[in-house]
Order: sequence, then structure tokens, then C-alpha cells
Amino acid sequence: MKELSMVTSMNESYFLKKKIQKVVLYIVLSLIALYTLAPLWLLLVNSFKDQAQIIASPLGLPANVSLAYITKAAGEIHFLKALLTTSVITSLSVLLIVVVSSLAAWMMVRNKGRASQLVFMLFVAAMLIPFQAVMYPLIQFFDDIRLKSAGGLILMYGGFGLSMSVFLYHGFVKGVPKGVEEAATIDGCSIAQMYLHVVMPLLKSITVTVIVLNSMWIWNDYLLPFLVIGNSSTKTLVLELYFARITAGQFGNPWQLIFPAVLISIIPIIIVYLFLQKFIVKGISDGAIKS
Amino acid sequence: MNIYKKWFWPLVMPSLLLFAMVILYPFIMGMVNSFLAWRGTYYFDPETGTRATNMANSFVGLDNYKEAFRDKRFVSSLVYTVKYTFIAVIMVNVAALALALMVTKITRSSGLYRTIFFLPNMLGGLALGFIWQFIFQIIFTDMLFSPDALHIPFFRYMTQDSTKALFALALLNTWQYAGYMMIIYVAGLNNISSDYYEAASIDGSSYWHSFFKITIPMLMPSFTIVFFMTLANSFKLLDQNVALTDGEFGTRMLAMQILRTIKDTSPPNYGKAQAQAVIFFVLVAVITLTQVAITKKKELEM
Repeated sequence: MKELSMVTSMNESYFLKKKIQKVVLYIVLSLIALYTLAPLWLLLVNSFKDQAQIIASPLGLPANVSLAYITKAAGEIHFLKALLTTSVITSLSVLLIVVVSSLAAWMMVRNKGRASQLVFMLFVAAMLIPFQAVMYPLIQFFDDIRLKSAGGLILMYGGFGLSMSVFLYHGFVKGVPKGVEEAATIDGCSIAQMYLHVVMPLLKSITVTVIVLNSMWIWNDYLLPFLVIGNSSTKTLVLELYFARITAGQFGNPWQLIFPAVLISIIPIIIVYLFLQKFIVKGISDGAIKS
Repeated sequence: MNIYKKWFWPLVMPSLLLFAMVILYPFIMGMVNSFLAWRGTYYFDPETGTRATNMANSFVGLDNYKEAFRDKRFVSSLVYTVKYTFIAVIMVNVAALALALMVTKITRSSGLYRTIFFLPNMLGGLALGFIWQFIFQIIFTDMLFSPDALHIPFFRYMTQDSTKALFALALLNTWQYAGYMMIIYVAGLNNISSDYYEAASIDGSSYWHSFFKITIPMLMPSFTIVFFMTLANSFKLLDQNVALTDGEFGTRMLAMQILRTIKDTSPPNYGKAQAQAVIFFVLVAVITLTQVAITKKKELEM
């Protein structure tokens, strides 16, 4: 055994070392946080400058705050209309996914027959298929049945979001005991009442995960709207941004348009994120653990 | 119970219908079309040189596949995608694990840091690609790494050179996805009981010793998830590729190659594009199935 005085001095140096480590840790984390936020800082300050000023001093604050470039960009990307279009498409697609996949998963767990297993296997196997493998025949097919439109887009998102959502719900319903549902049937509950008042409330936390994961990719998706609605009059925010960039960018990069356009197109998501970040982060980490 | 049996098909049917319309039928048609002289809106008959009267007349065997592999752009996009995936998987994983280890070490403001690191994931790849294009072209090239400042030629004009662009893309995606993967690693780290570390420190184990003997082995399930999520995401990358370089200077990745094949020729060669898509499917399926196999094996070992 070591002597007592030695132990005390070791303790002191130990705690000092720990303290220094903690300070260093905070400094490193803060530097990384700055690095993470820097591109967004660039986006913010350069949304209020003209092209010459952007190139001359990209990091500095704007000489005078003028909303002129934001207003111009908002007009260029038809901001309000695009925001509405994107919100409607995303919310209806996610609603479709939640309803259809929770119903299917619930029934598949409660029926343990061969058909049920087969259907489940089909959904799981479909997770192997990348979007590119089906996109051209899909667009052609939806064009043939006259659904190459915003409405058709919602159906397509419904189909693409299905596999993962059925999988997540399936895993979750397995852990929900049947007892409550059986009691509800004895009390004369119809299947609709049972779904709405017994099953869905129990599935609340996994539903948050399903909503978060699906809204994130649908809201930001570029390829599917590009193929389905393309350069028509009703576009999503991402599509407006893409076409604004293409049209304006034929002669160099018009940063005085791109910066404000990107800024206003991401502000809605940043607001949602700041309010719901607890649910979002929990949704992501639950989703990852379950799959 | 009877009620479940009665309602099985009516309640599963909506999902099956959607599935059939959006995935199953297009997938089967995609397989078929990859063997036909498909032009998108019609089928071409190579014998008569006109529109085929039925699909069978449009059959070209493996021609679409042969043509795909003869196309330098396809082969180089395949190689480019593999190279990019290799770099991106390493960079994202190292960054995410480092972030997770750091944010779980602190108590005060830990939530604030996580919120900041996760933020870039909420934004679309296209919008972020435009901002980073500015960073690479103006900030990196004319400011930070210019001859007047740090003067590192490698970091200048990164979007105008095929090799440099690989790292530019990887930098952008590490910045964007590290926070997401960090969340998964944090969940994994929180699952490790502190008892192990206490026992190890009583035995005089150093931080790094505990890290390699406790943290890494206990974190294996998280590694599997993050590793293959980044693998699949990198392999299928499109938006950032479009926004940052638009495939110029030999930077086309597979997803963009499939998308642009129909614009490379006139009339558009959908048959060849579809053959590339089928090859892409096989590669993605192999990656995903390997994941399943490894995960299963891991679960058995535990």
C-alpha cells in the first residue's frame, strides 16, 4: 500500500487533470459546433448582400440590412405556393403511411398464419430495392393511368414509405399484449373503435418515429418530384430551388439569388426542428435501435 | 380470435395495393424492360427499325447490359461510387463516434451540442450542396487556402477535379450526417452499464484500455447499424452529387448516371438505363444482405 500523503497528492493532481480534460473537451466541442454552424452563418449573412459584396466579404455582416434579395428570391421560387404544396404533399403522404402501415402491421401480428408471414416477408424483402430500380417503369405506369401528378406523388410516397414503417410497427405491436383488445371486444367494441381508441394510443411512441423518419425524407426529396411533376406550375420547395438555380445559373453562379432562396426554403424546417427536436432525436434513436 | 381473422385481408389490402402499384409491378416491369429496346413511351423493334407492335418483338437479350458495360461513363461512375463510399463510410463513422464519445462525457450543455450537431440532417442535400459549393469555390479557394493564407493547393478548386471532388463530397456528407450517426452511437453508449468501467478503473485500467476492451466490443450492435446505414446512403447518393458538381469533371455517381443516361442519347435509351438500374439493384441487395447476415451472426454470438 502507498503512503497516505502520496495518495492525497495523487488525488489532487488527478482532479486537476480531470478538470483540464473537461475544459479541453468543451473547447473542442465548441469549435466543432462553430464548424457545424459556419455554413449556416454564411447562408444567413449573405442573404442580405448583393453579388459583389458576397464575393468581396463572404463572412462579414451585410453593410446595410435590406430585405430586397429575400423578397426577390421569394418571388422567384413562388415561396408561399411552394411551401403550401410541400406541406400538403408531405402531410398527406405521412398520414397515408401511418394509417396503412399501422393497420397492416397490427393485423399481421395478430394473425400468425402463413399468409400473414408471407406478406410480412414481402415488405421486408422490398427494402432491398433501391428507388432507381423501379423509377422509370413507375413513372411510365403512373403516366399511363393518368396519375403523374401531385396526387400520384402522394401515392408513390405512400408505397415507398411502407416497408420501413410496416417493419417498425410490426416490431412494436409484438410487444403490446392482446389482453386490452380482447377486453374491448368483449365490451362490444367494433374494429374501428378498437383501432382508434385502443391500438393507436398504445402505438403513440412508434408513430412519432414513423412520422419523423418519413417527413424528413419526403420534405427534402428532390428526385421523385423532379420525375413526377418536373418543371410544371405546381412545384415543391426543393424543386423550385433546383429550377431557380438551373435557370439563373447559366452564366456563372448568382449567389445573391441562391443564398436567400436557400435560406427561406430551410427556415420552416429549422423552426419545426427547434420546437420538436426532442421528439425528432428520440424518434431517430428509437428507429435505429429497432431496425 | 375470430375478429382478427375476419378483418385480416380488408385491413392488409390497402398496403398490399399500394405496394403492388408502386413497387412490385414497376420492379417486375423494370426487370423485363432491361431486356427490351425500351424507349420510355414506346418499344423499338430492332429488326424493322420502327415501333414494335408487341413487346416480344423488342427483345434484345443482354444487349442493354453489354452496352452499359461498354459505356465508359457507367463504368467510371461505378468505380467513382465505390471509391466515394469507401472514403465517406470511414469519415462519417470516425466523426460520429468521436462526437458521441465527447457529448456523453459532459453533463452541462450536452443537449445543446447534440441539437447543433444534428441540425444539418434536417436540411435537404440539394440546399446544403449549394451552400457548400460556395464554400469550396469561394471560401476555400479564394480565402482560407489561397496563396495569401494557408496556401494548401489540395483544398483549392475542389469541385473542379474528380479526385478532389471525392473528398469535397465526403466533407459535405460528414458535416451533414455525423450528427445523425452520433445519435445512434449515443444510444449505444448509454446502453453500456457504468459498472464495467468502475470495475475496470478499480483494476487500474487506463481510459484507452477501457475504450478498446469495453466500449468497442459493447458498441458492436451500433457499429453494425451505422456502418451499413452509411454504406447504403453513400452508395445511393444523388442530391449532393447533383448540387455540388452536377457530375462534371468525371464526378458522376451511379444514381446520377442512371438518371442522366436517358439524356445522353436521342432517342432516350431507357432500356440501357434500366439495365444499369438492375445492376445497381443487385449491388445494393448484396450490400444489404451481407448486413443482414453479419447482424444475424452477431446476434447469435451474444
